[in-house]
Amino acid sequence: MTSALRKHGRWLVPLFLFAIFSGCNPSSGRRDETVFRVNLSTEPPSLDWSLATDHVSFNVIANLMVGLTEFDKNLKPVPVIAKSWDILEGGKKIVFHLRDDVAWSDGKKVRAHDFEYSWKRLLNPKTASEYAYSLFDIVGAEEFNRGTIADESQVGVKAIDDSTLEVLLKSPTSYFLSLTTFEVTYPQRRDVVEKFGSQWTEPEHIVTNGPFLLASWKHENEIQLKANPNYFLGKPAIERVEMYMINETTTALTMYEQGQLDFIDDHSIPALEKPRLAKAPGFKHVPQLRGEYYGFAMDRKPFDDPRVRKAFAMAIDRSVFPRLLQGGQAPSSSWIPPGMLAHNPKIGVPYNPPEARRLLREAGYPDGKGFPQVTFVYNTREDHKTAAEAVQGMWKRNLGVLVRLENLEWKVYLKRLQNDPPHVFRAGWGADYPDPDNFMKLFITGSGNNHPRYKNGRFDQLVEQAARELNEQKRVRVYNEAQKLLCEVDIPIVPLFTIAESTVLNPRYTGLEYNSMSRLLLRDVRLKNK
Amino acid sequence: MGRFLLRRLLHGIIVLWVVATATFGLLRALPGGPFDRDRRLPPEVMANIEAKYHLDETLLKQYVRYVAGILRGDLGPSYKYIDRNVADIILDTLPTSTVLGLLALLSALACSFPLGVAAASHHNRWIDRLCVFLATVGISLPNFVLGAVLIWIFSLQLGWFQAARWGAPGSAVLPAITLGAMPCAQLTYLLRSSLLETLGEDFIRTARAKGVSESLVLFKHAARNSLIPVLTLLGPLLAILVAGSFVVEYVFAIPGMGRFFITAVTDRDYPLIMGVTLVYTAILVCANLLVDVLYSVVDPRMRSR
Repeated sequence: MTSALRKHGRWLVPLFLFAIFSGCNPSSGRRDETVFRVNLSTEPPSLDWSLATDHVSFNVIANLMVGLTEFDKNLKPVPVIAKSWDILEGGKKIVFHLRDDVAWSDGKKVRAHDFEYSWKRLLNPKTASEYAYSLFDIVGAEEFNRGTIADESQVGVKAIDDSTLEVLLKSPTSYFLSLTTFEVTYPQRRDVVEKFGSQWTEPEHIVTNGPFLLASWKHENEIQLKANPNYFLGKPAIERVEMYMINETTTALTMYEQGQLDFIDDHSIPALEKPRLAKAPGFKHVPQLRGEYYGFAMDRKPFDDPRVRKAFAMAIDRSVFPRLLQGGQAPSSSWIPPGMLAHNPKIGVPYNPPEARRLLREAGYPDGKGFPQVTFVYNTREDHKTAAEAVQGMWKRNLGVLVRLENLEWKVYLKRLQNDPPHVFRAGWGADYPDPDNFMKLFITGSGNNHPRYKNGRFDQLVEQAARELNEQKRVRVYNEAQKLLCEVDIPIVPLFTIAESTVLNPRYTGLEYNSMSRLLLRDVRLKNK
Repeated sequence: MGRFLLRRLLHGIIVLWVVATATFGLLRALPGGPFDRDRRLPPEVMANIEAKYHLDETLLKQYVRYVAGILRGDLGPSYKYIDRNVADIILDTLPTSTVLGLLALLSALACSFPLGVAAASHHNRWIDRLCVFLATVGISLPNFVLGAVLIWIFSLQLGWFQAARWGAPGSAVLPAITLGAMPCAQLTYLLRSSLLETLGEDFIRTARAKGVSESLVLFKHAARNSLIPVLTLLGPLLAILVAGSFVVEYVFAIPGMGRFFITAVTDRDYPLIMGVTLVYTAILVCANLLVDVLYSVVDPRMRSR
């Protein structure tokens, strides 16, 4: 063995190098113009739209499927499979009339029964869907999900015939049409789901009705979509989409800069690179329906005193966040985000250090003297840390109070918020559907997401009233009043800013829509000159 | 030898059981559950999920169910990758991790052997110092830094390789070098010092006195005797390379098993964490067994122990 090594050793290293370096030039191949490449960042946890819960899964599903409605540019639900609808019985009954030219990828017609099956599957306790609650406004839905009624025919959704779907609501629900844009309400085929069980979403089994078809799914590696030639709104211009799963932002950005990706979003851009990329062609900040806030534990001293909460809110200069975080954040003192009905930038507590000091003095802590030790908790992430340190500095400077910072791992942090909310904490909220109800319901008494443990009967009443009100102008007035209670009077939370996603699209392409709920829609993508 | 193997195998099974039990207990002690979300789920929805995954049962019942599952070869469903079983995920990803680990080991061996021999045979000369310097760099540089540096140089600046996309031509080069760098440095150090020790022994002096050529002394007499400490390191190294490549898999977007280790812990995906941990343990047990067998091949005195 040693003599052989001696004899041939000199060839081993060059041979090894040749073997691994051969064919290595990634940019030598000719660019295929009909393929559009994006980064999903991770493996989609599920392509079953009754079970999916995350934006990665929904970004794939949103290109494979369409539902009754979708959003227009103003985030209003407009018809897709539903050609029209009738709102009857003062809003307690909605009848959807479906188009009859929409086909599944295996050629069968999309029927109202496919919606009835999908919605009841979502609500079935055995499905154990996390988003089952999104249909709880339907008669019998919550009871069916809880198991108190076993007969699914008592759930208020029924296909009258192939093209008519009737929905019975417990009470008029102003945001219900918005819910029909949500992927979890898309139709499903009973025959396919029941035949293939948990494997029905694999490319060889799945049936879809959207602009693209699922061509292949190499788990943890790549998903390929191909244009659906029979898509009822016309075949997409791009023949094929490749979706990669590159988790590491630096790697993903390198891939884009090498020309191996055509589009990247926030999940593919290192925070430190954002200022540089902001000058690149194709760069965009896309404002999101997602708000960031700091909350106070209202049942713990010293934050049980509204003057202390107001003083802390007034001592925050929100204008620093865009510069600090470099992600296109928009400072906001009100809670309902821009782009949503009832957004009102005039509501909220402005930056006013002298008034903040006065309020704190009035509460018994002149210049912060005698203020007890309080802790501000956030979950581990660089931008949360940056913002928390900046605000800690503002409170020290403007109020004379030194707040102790503590960061926690995500799940530990969630547990802490649920069981024992700290004095002050950071949190955020993103829309599932673009309606203020989604944001305001968070802080009603007893809501599982009401971490400040805010209790105000008037606020609860207003939020309920707005949800049942079908007149938009009246809704806005009711939400204005509720927001004033939340952000100016009681102040369980201090809204800070709404976030934006940084995106970069290869300038050769146009037509990509990245909407304000982080949905990546590719059906209109095309080369600029075509 | 048969009894020896049987004894080691039994030890291995006990180790696996202890690891499975400890992992089960530790995971349940961690704060935060698999279905805790930033938007808290209504109680009825949560109850349905817990019933589906038997999380509403007592801990003892869950443990018994889990161990019975392992014995049947069923590692349970993933809580995050809803439509997939842990066994399917591991079967899909382990081959990739194995290929990457073996490539890294091969590159580490291919580099460390000449470096170690060159350093020992040119002791205290500039070649020795250069080899020691390279080995020190290899040990001190964390692989996520090395990976990022290699991507910057060879992908972004030179454009020779893609930064990711496992399976594309040349895609294994940068990850294999990144993963192999530290083992290469460790092996170089070890081989150098082991060779230096062997070269000072009486039988080497005798061989030289008998007029055996220097290269024969080095490769035939000294190298064989210096391999035992290297083999000792090789077992754990093999296991670490196959199973412990999660950072490299993350940086280069390689669809291997290691990537799950980080995310599964963050997601509290209990079955996936336990499945991956068990596979890691099994690999370590097997690698150590393999090394013990190799020992007895290299040094027959070991067989009688």
